[in-house]
Amino acid sequence: MTVSVRNNVSEHGPREAQPILFAHGFGCDQNMWRFVWPRFEADYRVVLFDHVGAGGSDLSAYDPERYSSLQGYAEDVLELCRELDLRDVVFVGHSVSAMVGVLAATAEPDRFARLVLVGPSPRYIDDDGYVGGFSREDIEGLLESMESNYLGWSSQMAPVIMGNPDRPELGEELINSFCRTDPEIANRFARVTFLSDNREDLGRVKTPSLVLQCSEDAIAPEEVGRFVEREMPAARLVMLDAVGHCPNLSAPEATADAIEEFLRG
Amino acid sequence: MKVEEELFAPGLEDLFENAPCGYLSTAPDGTILKVNRTFEQWTGYDRRQLVGRKRFAELLTPGGRMYHETHYAPLLQMQGEAREIALELVGADGSRLPALVTSVVVADGEGKPQVIRTTVFDASERRRYEEELLQTREREREIARQLQRSMLAGELPAAPGLQVGASYRPADNALEVGGDWYDAFWLGEERLGMVVGDVVGKGIGAAATMGQLRSAVRALASTGLRPGPLLEALDDYTHRHGVGATTTVVYAQLDLASRELRFACAGHLPPILVEPESGPHLSWEGRSTPLGLRIPGPRPESACVLPTGSLFLLYTDGLVERRTQPIDSGLERLQAEVAERREEPPPALAPNLLRALGTGEHGDDACVLALSLG
Repeated sequence: MTVSVRNNVSEHGPREAQPILFAHGFGCDQNMWRFVWPRFEADYRVVLFDHVGAGGSDLSAYDPERYSSLQGYAEDVLELCRELDLRDVVFVGHSVSAMVGVLAATAEPDRFARLVLVGPSPRYIDDDGYVGGFSREDIEGLLESMESNYLGWSSQMAPVIMGNPDRPELGEELINSFCRTDPEIANRFARVTFLSDNREDLGRVKTPSLVLQCSEDAIAPEEVGRFVEREMPAARLVMLDAVGHCPNLSAPEATADAIEEFLRG
Repeated sequence: MKVEEELFAPGLEDLFENAPCGYLSTAPDGTILKVNRTFEQWTGYDRRQLVGRKRFAELLTPGGRMYHETHYAPLLQMQGEAREIALELVGADGSRLPALVTSVVVADGEGKPQVIRTTVFDASERRRYEEELLQTREREREIARQLQRSMLAGELPAAPGLQVGASYRPADNALEVGGDWYDAFWLGEERLGMVVGDVVGKGIGAAATMGQLRSAVRALASTGLRPGPLLEALDDYTHRHGVGATTTVVYAQLDLASRELRFACAGHLPPILVEPESGPHLSWEGRSTPLGLRIPGPRPESACVLPTGSLFLLYTDGLVERRTQPIDSGLERLQAEVAERREEPPPALAPNLLRALGTGEHGDDACVLALSLG
């Protein structure tokens, strides 16, 4: 199986242009970038993908061991870059994928030209002298919420979704389908996302990086964004006047503006 | 009251304020713009405490707020609506109200979101019922797990020069128990029976089938049947009682005095034999179809004499199968791993092989039964 199939890769824009790789966060799939990527397709090779376990990825490729840490997701990103021969990559990662980008750029620094971290958090759970914003009980609460909301996913629907990889429209018609995931995989991904601690990794990134921080983000608050900016040797933070954790959806123009400006600079 | 009166007399205001569901309008950023009386009553908030002061997400539990940020809000922005989402509202006094929430986005002529309209239905009863269902499901799984454990437990045969080890690993992600089993038992003082099988299906049904076949094999083996005829008798059992068709199973007998090993394989993966002078090899002899799918004629069996220092291994497909790779490469990996661990005594070898191979992905369990003869 190719990485492109495994990760449901879609591409836009000129092949020979500099690649810009968009990575979605926990919860939904590459559709999270639908209002942002069109801005870049004239000048960049736009590459979108779904993490294994999300969206239109190949669920049979989900290996609980490989994906028991963010390193597995970072390896996927590197494999994808190798298969598509992406060099000089602009990596744009939302939410947990910001840390996936940090790990990928640490492993292969030469491959990445720039990192854009949208709403990053290296650790969600409070620690001595560090405010992540959440407690372990909060994470359990999230898992409970997920358990009572198997979006677009019941045992009746699962075979339809899984058995028709060549007919994605069957799944697309379902309501809430952008955020549908196999409940077991979603549960594991949530744990990996919210129980990870990547604070030590931030200092290893030499790639010029942009931290995009929403003014009011309940998942990754401003002080966490400031922490990331402080710990990364070549990062600067830009504040977006946006509420919530997903400026790529709620303030797509401001998000695209900020990325463009960063890439020009 | 006449129909006309219900439609017109109470006025739209009353229909809104006292609707049998909570109703609220928010700005695109979630700031509450308007709530109805039902919502006030359910949450214990006065609208003056909410309107312009709180965002909808602030009325949720911390976990619910995370869910809102990572699922609910994105869905709403991507598809303009989010339906039937289960969330818990936290009232003014801290009490929790399980609710089913549905929202739609109202956009202007250019598609720009203006307002989000949300209805909130009390789902306390439903949530209690769902919790009961979940508990029932969990109980059933636990019963099946216990059933299976009870069948896999028990002391394995051992004698001077003879060591038997076995290990079972449930599937990762497993919601239900799988259908793999192993068994090893004495047939008189000098003879030993060994079985590994794989029942089709999962859950209590598979566990029960496994139990029946396990007892049937033990009973048939005690009559002195050799492996080939034993599998034929098991076929008859399968037909007569309507259980266990298409199960794959391998049955082996070892005579300690003569060191003769005989085995027969009904559709199961080939045993691995390691003789002291050679590397591991797959024994493709003594093979026939899975149980209940018998073609006319006797089921074949294979026989050999085990030299001192031999190792014999039975296992199920969960050990060698991965979705993304052909089974041949799994069998090669297993042989390489066995070659590497050839000196390990079976009680250590069996669990070590399970750990080293296979990931338990896709709900497949696995087991290994290993025997060494000094």
